[in-house]
Amino acid sequence: MNTIPLPAPLRRRLTARRGGVLASLLAGGLALGSGAVAADAPQTTAEGGEPIRLGILGECEGAFGAFHEDTVAGVTLAMVNAAGAETNSPTTALDGFSGAVAGGRPIEVVGIGCGDDTPDRIIQEVRILVEQNDAEIVIGPLSGDEAIAVANYANDHPEVTFINGIAGSQEPTLQVQAPNFFRFHGDGAMWNAGLGDRLYNESGWQTVAVIADDYSFGWTSLAGFIADFCAVGGEVVTRVFPPLGTTDYSSYIQQLPDPDEVDGYFWSVGGTGTQAALEAFVNAKGDLTGDQHAGNLFFNPDLATALGPDIAGAYIGGFASFPPDVSTPAIDAYKMSADATWETLVGGTTGGEPAAPSQSAGFGFFYGYYVAGIALVQALNEVAGDLSDGHAALREALSTLPVEAPFGTVVLDENRQAIVDTYVAQLVLDEESGEVVQQTVAIIPQVDQTFGGTFGPDTPPPSREDPACEERDLPWTGNAIPVVDGVPQTDETAVSTEG
Amino acid sequence: MNAAGRRTTGVAAAVVLLAVMPLVASGFFVNFVLTRTLILGVAAASIVFLASYVGMVSLAQWLLVGVAAFTVGNCVAEAGKGLKLGLNPWLAVLIAVAISTLVAFVLGAIASRTTDIYFLMLTLTYAVIGYYVFGQVTSISGFGGITGVSPPGLFRGHPARLYYAALVASIAAYAVFRAVRRTPFGLTLEGIRDDPVRMSALGFNVPLHRTLAFTIAGAVASLAGVLNIWWNGQVDPTSINIGATLILLIVAVIGGINQLEGAWLGAFAYVAANNYLRSLPLIDRIGITEARFNTVVGVLVLLIVVASPNGIVGILTGTSGRLRLAAHPAPDLTTTDLSDTTKPPTNVPPTNMEETR
Repeated sequence: MNTIPLPAPLRRRLTARRGGVLASLLAGGLALGSGAVAADAPQTTAEGGEPIRLGILGECEGAFGAFHEDTVAGVTLAMVNAAGAETNSPTTALDGFSGAVAGGRPIEVVGIGCGDDTPDRIIQEVRILVEQNDAEIVIGPLSGDEAIAVANYANDHPEVTFINGIAGSQEPTLQVQAPNFFRFHGDGAMWNAGLGDRLYNESGWQTVAVIADDYSFGWTSLAGFIADFCAVGGEVVTRVFPPLGTTDYSSYIQQLPDPDEVDGYFWSVGGTGTQAALEAFVNAKGDLTGDQHAGNLFFNPDLATALGPDIAGAYIGGFASFPPDVSTPAIDAYKMSADATWETLVGGTTGGEPAAPSQSAGFGFFYGYYVAGIALVQALNEVAGDLSDGHAALREALSTLPVEAPFGTVVLDENRQAIVDTYVAQLVLDEESGEVVQQTVAIIPQVDQTFGGTFGPDTPPPSREDPACEERDLPWTGNAIPVVDGVPQTDETAVSTEG
Repeated sequence: MNAAGRRTTGVAAAVVLLAVMPLVASGFFVNFVLTRTLILGVAAASIVFLASYVGMVSLAQWLLVGVAAFTVGNCVAEAGKGLKLGLNPWLAVLIAVAISTLVAFVLGAIASRTTDIYFLMLTLTYAVIGYYVFGQVTSISGFGGITGVSPPGLFRGHPARLYYAALVASIAAYAVFRAVRRTPFGLTLEGIRDDPVRMSALGFNVPLHRTLAFTIAGAVASLAGVLNIWWNGQVDPTSINIGATLILLIVAVIGGINQLEGAWLGAFAYVAANNYLRSLPLIDRIGITEARFNTVVGVLVLLIVVASPNGIVGILTGTSGRLRLAAHPAPDLTTTDLSDTTKPPTNVPPTNMEETR
């Protein structure tokens, strides 16, 4: 792992704003934990080559519109940490950055696309970036259906390299397989790996009713849970699919069996729908009992604010970034670098109010775009900014170089899809504060997109009916690494408990 | 030259200008801005046709665009979602136009006995039902839509080919709608627009004429659907949701809902605002970012409608009339010999219906 000094501008900022202690911490953390944060960053600011034209596909409208700032900030922080950039504003990433250099060439943002979680809109936006603004490399998008459309667009535009932001549908890499489309995080199915195994073998669930958003991410997220739960012998008795953006879930809740007819419920309802759906459940089926519910990444402690502490006990699937109770020097350094880059940010997790940038950086939407930016800079440095021959060298580097990201090393499979470590968490009642908090209970190592052959280019993509509920062998069944008080129980991982 | 002649000359000049655009304009302007303008224009022209010839303001036209697009997607795609029939793309076009026209006939027949706000509400209902049908019935789409649809080989290789296809479709749509107006059928439609009770009393089958007009408009809208999925490469239910439906009506209103040319002018104004407003220097400093585009369009619509109830066409014809008046001032009636009433004044701006319809 390379150890090199922080970029000078960042070091100066740190020293000026937070004092030398923070700068030292950050420098140490970056050096220890994440070669990618600063590895191979250019030592000079010589900008001899033509600028590399970068486009960012953000998400300024729709169900995830609140995360627009997070997406751009993720890329910006990668440029600050790895390419020596400086932000143009201390309170927003949307004003861009300057001074980024990778592989000896400056990086110039030629446009920020504005998605609204629909394929139709994202195609318009990516066309503006590529065909109007001449973007050579595009980072994004955020949402599942968008990524399928962009991957298909990538197939028709081999001259452009695309790095997915944080969209979690399965198809872009497993079915579409555009050779110029890369994804450095898991898909929605991968993030739920290990959850079904735990519910079946430790919580005693044998039957489950599932409810999922009726679009590609909802289906993909559900597919991961079903594959995992059924692999060990579980049975899915009911599948319900409300449209994305539903506000009144009562008719869909009525289609679910009553609590005494099933061992548990799995929820893959996202955005503002999670709370609305659970409230409809309480109205129709009675109070929640946490040990009878599980959900994907959208289940979070904030639900307890509206639903009360009874939600405690519910298990949750993973996401791109780990919950706050797990920290490593690399994770700490990454979050502190965000605080050193901006004074405040208004992100999707800050409720529309300015907050410490590390709050946004700790959530997966920000992080997915960050890793995409880190991977890009790392690959550009590797090939000295060479984009000739249809980006051949760059794509080879993106395909083969392990990305030392704060939440773990990422390598890609032959479909240019990340193989990642993910986790299972649980909502628990903190006895001291009386609040519901998220606690990591296991890390699932080296999850691949095929689920040991369950999914493949020739299998039907996740849908309402697919995958079927079948017993099968999964590579990680029985291999989960327990996490106790934020510490994975392995000898290799140097992990500390936050706080 | 009379008003009709000036109108024809203007349209012909516009067509010539559009035909040479790939030679003089940037690829993005031609392949994105103008191609999308022409596709939206064809769809909006079907609204203008119904509104100006029959007095029916329809919110179902974008649904018919979607029906054609989804049909092409289901017929052509070999993988992914939908029926995945893998048919010849040209056969898919025929099937798409036929199905969309048939759907238009059925929907038109159901709506043919309603007028005014009731017709508007019924067509709005069609649009909402269509959105949910394509969203919920996963065998033909699902909310993820149908992706990865390519145009036939004839239109691959150079994007300008698709632009010319959209231009030809636009010319055809314009010619069909203008030709219809000159037929007895078209005159009957105008009679129904002005006084349906009297036309019915004269023995005309008003619901049938309305149904047929809706069907013709649907057939033309289906061309926009075919072009749209070729151009966009995909279609999904949000492509035809209530927002997209209203955008098409906005396009028609911006351009001028009483004259066919307004459809394309409105489409150009909408697409240009969508693409270039965000690029204006310092525009984001006053809060106008891509996230607020719909607000900007709303203000634009407000300004245009307040300034000219007949949209951009009204502004253009008004300006043209004033220029002609300035070039050839009206005679001073206080000094003109009014005894010769057989000779009409030659330099008064025309006010016949050709100018407004």
